[in-house]
Formats: sequence, C-alpha cells, structure tokens
Amino acid sequence: MASVAYPTPQSQQGAVTVQKPSSTSGLVSWLTTIDHKRIGIMYGTSAFLFFLLGGLEAILIRVQLARPENTFVDLQSYNELFTMHATTMVFLALMPMSAAFFNYVVPLQIGARDVAFPRLNAFSFWTFIAGAIVLNLPVLASLPGTFTYIFQQIVSSVPVLHLPWSQYVPDQGWYAYSPLTAPMFSGKEVDFWVLGIQLLGVASLAASFNFIITIINMRAPGMTMMRLPIFTWTTLIVSVLIAMSFPAVTIGLVLLAIDRLAGTSFYAPYALVNGQLVTTGGDPILWQHLFWIFGHPEVYILILPAFGIISEIIPVFAKKPLFGYGVMVYATAAIAFLGFGVWAHHMFTTGLAATPTAVFTAGTMLIAIPTGVKILNWTATMWGGSIRFTTAMLFAVGLVSQFVIGGLSGVMHAVSPVDTQHNDSYFVVAHFHYVLFGGTVFGLFAGLYFWWPKVFGRMLDERLGKLNFWLTFIGFNLTFFPMHFLGLAGMPRRYWSYGEQSGWWFWNSIASIGALMIAGSILVFMINVTRSMKSGAKAPADPWDAATLEWSIPSPPPVYNFLEVPQVTHVNQLWYDKYGDDHGGQAITPKPLNVIPAIEGDDHGVHMPNPSWYPMVASIGMLLLALGILIPNPHIQVLFLGIPVISLLGTVIIVLGVYGWAFEPASEPAH
Amino acid sequence: MAATAAELQTAHGSGSDHVDSHGHSDHPPSSTGLDSRKLVMWAFLASDTMFFGALIGVYMTYRGRSEAMGMGPYPYDIFDIPYTSVSAFVLLMSSLTMVLALAAIQRGNNRGLRVWLTATALLGAIFVGGQFFEFTMFVREGLTLNSNMFGSSFFVLTGFHGLHVTVGVIWLLTLVWMSLRGGIDQSKSLNVEIAGLYWHFVDIVWIVIFTLVYLIPYENVGNGEVTHSAEGAFHFITNAIRSLPF
Repeated sequence: MASVAYPTPQSQQGAVTVQKPSSTSGLVSWLTTIDHKRIGIMYGTSAFLFFLLGGLEAILIRVQLARPENTFVDLQSYNELFTMHATTMVFLALMPMSAAFFNYVVPLQIGARDVAFPRLNAFSFWTFIAGAIVLNLPVLASLPGTFTYIFQQIVSSVPVLHLPWSQYVPDQGWYAYSPLTAPMFSGKEVDFWVLGIQLLGVASLAASFNFIITIINMRAPGMTMMRLPIFTWTTLIVSVLIAMSFPAVTIGLVLLAIDRLAGTSFYAPYALVNGQLVTTGGDPILWQHLFWIFGHPEVYILILPAFGIISEIIPVFAKKPLFGYGVMVYATAAIAFLGFGVWAHHMFTTGLAATPTAVFTAGTMLIAIPTGVKILNWTATMWGGSIRFTTAMLFAVGLVSQFVIGGLSGVMHAVSPVDTQHNDSYFVVAHFHYVLFGGTVFGLFAGLYFWWPKVFGRMLDERLGKLNFWLTFIGFNLTFFPMHFLGLAGMPRRYWSYGEQSGWWFWNSIASIGALMIAGSILVFMINVTRSMKSGAKAPADPWDAATLEWSIPSPPPVYNFLEVPQVTHVNQLWYDKYGDDHGGQAITPKPLNVIPAIEGDDHGVHMPNPSWYPMVASIGMLLLALGILIPNPHIQVLFLGIPVISLLGTVIIVLGVYGWAFEPASEPAH
Repeated sequence: MAATAAELQTAHGSGSDHVDSHGHSDHPPSSTGLDSRKLVMWAFLASDTMFFGALIGVYMTYRGRSEAMGMGPYPYDIFDIPYTSVSAFVLLMSSLTMVLALAAIQRGNNRGLRVWLTATALLGAIFVGGQFFEFTMFVREGLTLNSNMFGSSFFVLTGFHGLHVTVGVIWLLTLVWMSLRGGIDQSKSLNVEIAGLYWHFVDIVWIVIFTLVYLIPYENVGNGEVTHSAEGAFHFITNAIRSLPF
C-alpha cells in the first residue's frame, strides 16, 4: 500500500532518474523559486527593509516631538508619518518577519521537504510585495519632499520638492476610522491604503491556508500533533487566526471602497445630494466593529509567533524541556479563541450599552489567564536549568520581562472606566509598544540570532549581539516607559506638537533619546550581519545543542532538507536522538549527531517540484488590478460599470496566471 | 501531459498516486491520510464562511434601517418571493446534479461526468441569469446600490454570492473541457470532489441568505428611530434568542 511505503531516496538505490531544474542561482532562480527556504529569506529581507523604513518614520516622529512647538516636520507630514509608521510596522515588517520564520523553520521542524503548496507560497510572497508597492508608492514619492522640508529648517534657502503622488500618502491613522476615510474628508490616499491592505490580506490568507495544511498534513512519520515543536504549534494557531479574522477587515475594506468609488453610505451617516446634506442611515461605528473583529486577533497574530520562537529558545539555553508543553499548547489556543470575543474593548468610548461593555471587559480580563500561564511556564523552564545567556536567550528573557509590563497595562485597559481615561493618550501608545516591541520585536530578534546560523551557515558575533541587545533593551525602555507618564499627564496620541506650558517636554526628550538608541542598536545588528556574511565563523549543524529536527541537517540545509525522512518518537526528538533517556527522563550517555553532509549540485535524486513563473505572474496581475483603480487611465463602460483598462489587463493576467499554474506539470515527467 | 493537468502541486509532485519505475509512490502518504488539496479547500471554506458572515452581519445590522428612516423602496415592496424561490430551487437542484457528476466519475463513467457537470453549470448559470434579471427589475423600480441602506447592503451581499456562483460555473466548465481532453479519469475524481465541496458550500450559503434576506418578514417600523448599529445587532440577537421555542 502506498500509504505505508515511504519513499526512500533514489540515490540509495543507485539510480538518479530526475534532472533538477537548471537554474539554481541568479535572479531568475529567485524570481521563480518555490523553495520554502528561499521564500523565507526573501520574506525576511523585505520585512527587514520595511522595518528600517518604518523605523525611519518613527525617528522623524520622535525628532518632531523632542521639544515643544517644534516644526521639524509639518502637520500634514506628521499625520502621514504616524499612519505609515504603524501600517508599515504591522503589515510590512512584523507580520512578514513572522512569515519568514514560518516559511523557513516550520517545514524543517516537521521533517518535510517543503510546504504543502509551494507555488501558492510563492504567490503569497509576491502578492505581499505587490501590496507593499501599492502602500508605499506615495511614500517613495514624498520622501524627497519630507527631506527637503527638513533641510529647509536648517538652511532656509533649500526649496521644498513636490513630486507627483507625494500628496497621496495615507494620513488617516492605521485604523482608518470613519469619517476620516469618507470621500468628503479625504482624497486618493485612502484608496492607496485600502487597496494596499487588501492585497496584503490576500497574501496573508493564501499563506495561512498553506501553513494550516502543511502542519496538519506534512508531518514526518510518528510526529503526532502533541509531538509538534511548540513554534510549529503557534504557527498553526496563528494561521487559523489569519484565516478567520482577515475576512472581516477584507469585507470592511470592500464596503469602504464601494463607499468611496460608488457613493454608497455604509459608514457615512450623511451624504451630499445636490449640495444638500441628507441623512442616509449609515453608521461609522460599523467600520470600527469590522476593523477590530480583525484588529484584535491581529494583535495575537503579531505576538504569538514571538511567543513560539522564545518557547523554542528558552528550553535550549536552559537545557531543560519546556515546562508544561501541553498546557502551553492549550494556552496558545485559548488566547487565540478568546481573542475573537474581545474586539469591542477597543471601542469602549464609542458608547456601547452596559451589557456589551461588561461582557467585553470580562472577556478581555480572561485572556490574562492563559497569557499568565505562558509567563509561568517560561519562568519554570528556566528554574533550575543551566542557563547560557547567549544573545538569543537575552532577547527571549527580555521578551518575558518586557511583555509582562505591556500585558499588565493591557489588563488595566480591560476595565472600561480606566480605558475611558487612557483612550487615545500616550498611555495606550506605551502599552502597545511594550507588547509589540517588547514582545514581538524582541521575540523576532531572538529568532534571528537563534536561527541565523541554520539559515546562512555562519554564526553571528556574540559580543556585538550582546551590545545589540543591551542597546535595544535600554533604548526601548527609555523610549516607551516615559510614555506611561506622558499619557497619565494627559498627552493625547497623534498630536503634532505641544505647548511649552504642557510640562510634557522632559519625558518627550528622554523618549526621543531612547529612539536614537534603538536606531543605534539596529545599526549594530546590521554591522553584525555584514561581518557574519563576510567573515563569520562557519556554523555547525547544531551549534546550540538544540532539541528540534531542523538542527539535525547541515547548515544551511540542502534544497531537499532531509535526505532521509526522520522518524519521530518524542516531543524533543533531537535531544532524544542525542541523549536518549532511561525511561525516567534522565539523560543517558550522549550519542554524536549523525549529519549527512550536503554535496553541492547533487540532489541525491530527491524529487523536488520545479520553479515556476506563474505565481509571480498572478501577483503582477493583482498589482495591475489595484493600480488601474488608483492611477489615471482610460475606462471602458460596460453597462453601469466603468472598468479601468489597466485593471482589466490585470484581471486577464491573473486568469492567465491561474490557468497556467493549474495546467503546468507539477514536475518534469520521469524519464 | 494532460494527465498531470489542473492540480495544485504538492511538494511531492502531483497529487496522483503515480508509482514510478522504482516501485515507490510519487508522494509520501499525508499525515491525516487525506489529500492536501481537499483539506485546503475545507480551510478556504472556513475562511469564506467568515467572509459571508461579515457581509450577512452588515446586512442584519442595516435590516429595517431604511423602513425606520422612511427611505424607500422597501424589501416587501420589491421582492418577488415566488420568482426568487424558483431560482433558489434551481440552485439547490444543481447540488443534486453535482453529486451525480461525482458519483459518475467515481464509477469511471466519463460521459456521465460530463453530462452532469454540464447540467450543474447550466443550473448555476440559470441562477446567475435569474439574479441578473432580478437586479435589473429592482433597479427599474428604483432600488440601486446607493438609493438607501437596504439597496447597498442587499446588492453587496447577493452580488458577492452571485460572484461565487459565477466562479463556480467557470470552474465546472473548465472541468468539462478537461474531461473532453481526457484529463479526468476515475483516479482523478478528487478534482471533481473539490469543485463539489465549493459548489455545495455556495448552495448552503444561499439557503442562509434566502432565509434571512427574503423569507423572514420585515416589520414596518416607521417610527423614525435610528438605533446604534451595535445595539441593532444586539437587539436582533436578543430578539432571536427570545423567539426560540425553549
């Protein structure tokens, strides 16, 4: 039966029957790749570039706020900066960086040769790039203008550059509340934002289906669900969150686009008819509901991958199995499940009735329980372990400590009277940066330092790494802790400038110094990466004495990942392979790890699917479809619909891409 | 080769149970024993449920809003329940022909496959055509996408469903074309089964939409009160719970 016989590599039978596709290096090989490892590297690289862009926006914000009544950037630019800082960090930096880890690590952890649908994976990546392009076209156009304005502050003779499209930078805030997005009060910048997020949603949904099926269906023999590495578990749960929450915002954005393009009033209580304001019955609060039904699960989409990463790192560097593995899995699932029932705590100030307010308050507080369980489990894992404070471990422990601060202020916001006081103040800004920076960014850096040797085959420098960590840690606390004080002192978020008499300047200047420190720490990271690439020590297969399967293969892994598909019998399989146990959990004599070296250019006859152009073609179609709506081009009138020519072309390309994809042979026919 | 056509590619090559000259299968057994392509369709349908859930939620939020504001045309003025019932019946019958198509190919009956797939696509096309005609009539009677909240939410919800049926019809016709080229044999019945999952889902969604939008009677409130949308949804849920028989 096929269901029992697992294929053995053909080389062991002395015959190589299938030629690998010819191009394995060069631009074309990257454009057409469907290898999860390469896609992971591309996700990581682009996420880091967007992290730099979002960071630059943050620095400009902090410089503007460094002293009272500053005019470093103008009012309009400031609105654009905070909108694009948030949108870029959430959708273009943190989510894709998590996706980079999903892509690279998950198939290796479950002993698979790739994800379940490699071409769909490439499509997700290229559609993400298309969405990023749509979102950032106006930003790129406005950068010269922003910089010349800044130089004008120093040298007054510098003229301010205005490029076409630079006026289309989204400025309505990352959650785009109605009526700021109504056609009456906004321009084309909202359309750029709507279509950009829409494309990113398509990319995320496609990726989430792929990872759900990969994890459910591609596990190595013997790897039951309760033997999955914990990072793979969080990937599965995050993918379910994406699949179930993105539809709400997608529909929300569709209605917004229809409001803007066709003149409906889903979010507009008033409409202009022949110069007269008439009531329509539309409700701006509906947008808030649809946005936060997505937006709150999104918070967990951002934080749970980081939780998964440090749940891998802490056991390795404490040399102890994760405390309460099963409880950890259930806690993650509980956070995700409860996360769907608490969205209205973002909307306490909209005037909900008493019952919903009470329900959402209680629901939000409940989430503190599984989250507290996780904190306890990480602490108990370290308890009594022989801890090695590598950079990865420092970032992981940093997450545990910093996330607790953000989590606790989150519990404060669960109480609606308190939230009413904090809402739209810097206290909230402090809270979510402790969660998203102190949580997600710390976790992602921990993951970068942990898996870097596996991905690139070279070690990162530990001394620079520790400098990187401490600069980040101190800079982060300098930047965001004072924001608690500022918020309680009444400073509202999103204010462009503040007066001398406000008393806010001291903590604001401290925060700005902290932001520069964070920038310095990122610079240290980039120096570390450059040095590692040029002269870093070669990484062995298992530099950390780790517990999961990705460390049993060479660094970097060969294209087929596992020459022999691993057999799994235990939850920390690699530790079991190396140390075994005496059935009482005590380690017995260590066994050396048997790594089968990868031979350059030899695929050992492992049958891998071919590269393909079609995923990128379909994504280019998506890009054109969106651009056709955004940029001026002739329209074709079909019945009551005016269809832009470029969008029509995009649709045709999508159809061609999908059909080409479906009818393309999956791999070259065997000889 | 047509034999490998129209399959989402898995990491281990095509989804077929092709066994090569070395006597081993082209792809390893999946962890669950189910084909990944079938599972991904279920994952997509779960997500699609949330899409329709959001749209139905929007419709229910604005249900009765136009009556409350005195902005016609109203649903009870404009709906032709017998007409829409007939087209709903046509769509539900297409689920039957879809089942017959799958049963045919699972028995290796290629001609039966094509006959029943064509019938399913035809019934789907009749439904979409009927919807197009219905929309045209509504527009003629003054209900447009932006005439009132009823018009906006009605056209977006039913239009989104109609788009799903249209995609399904194109998919079914693609399968007929593949079958004519000899691309679907008994071992590839999964291609038909996956399209069937999608088709049945779209039918089930129509049952929900038809009930909520057309069948449940509209109260003529007319007191000019506009409720907060969250409250409106909340009232609808509490009223629905109160009306339960237990």
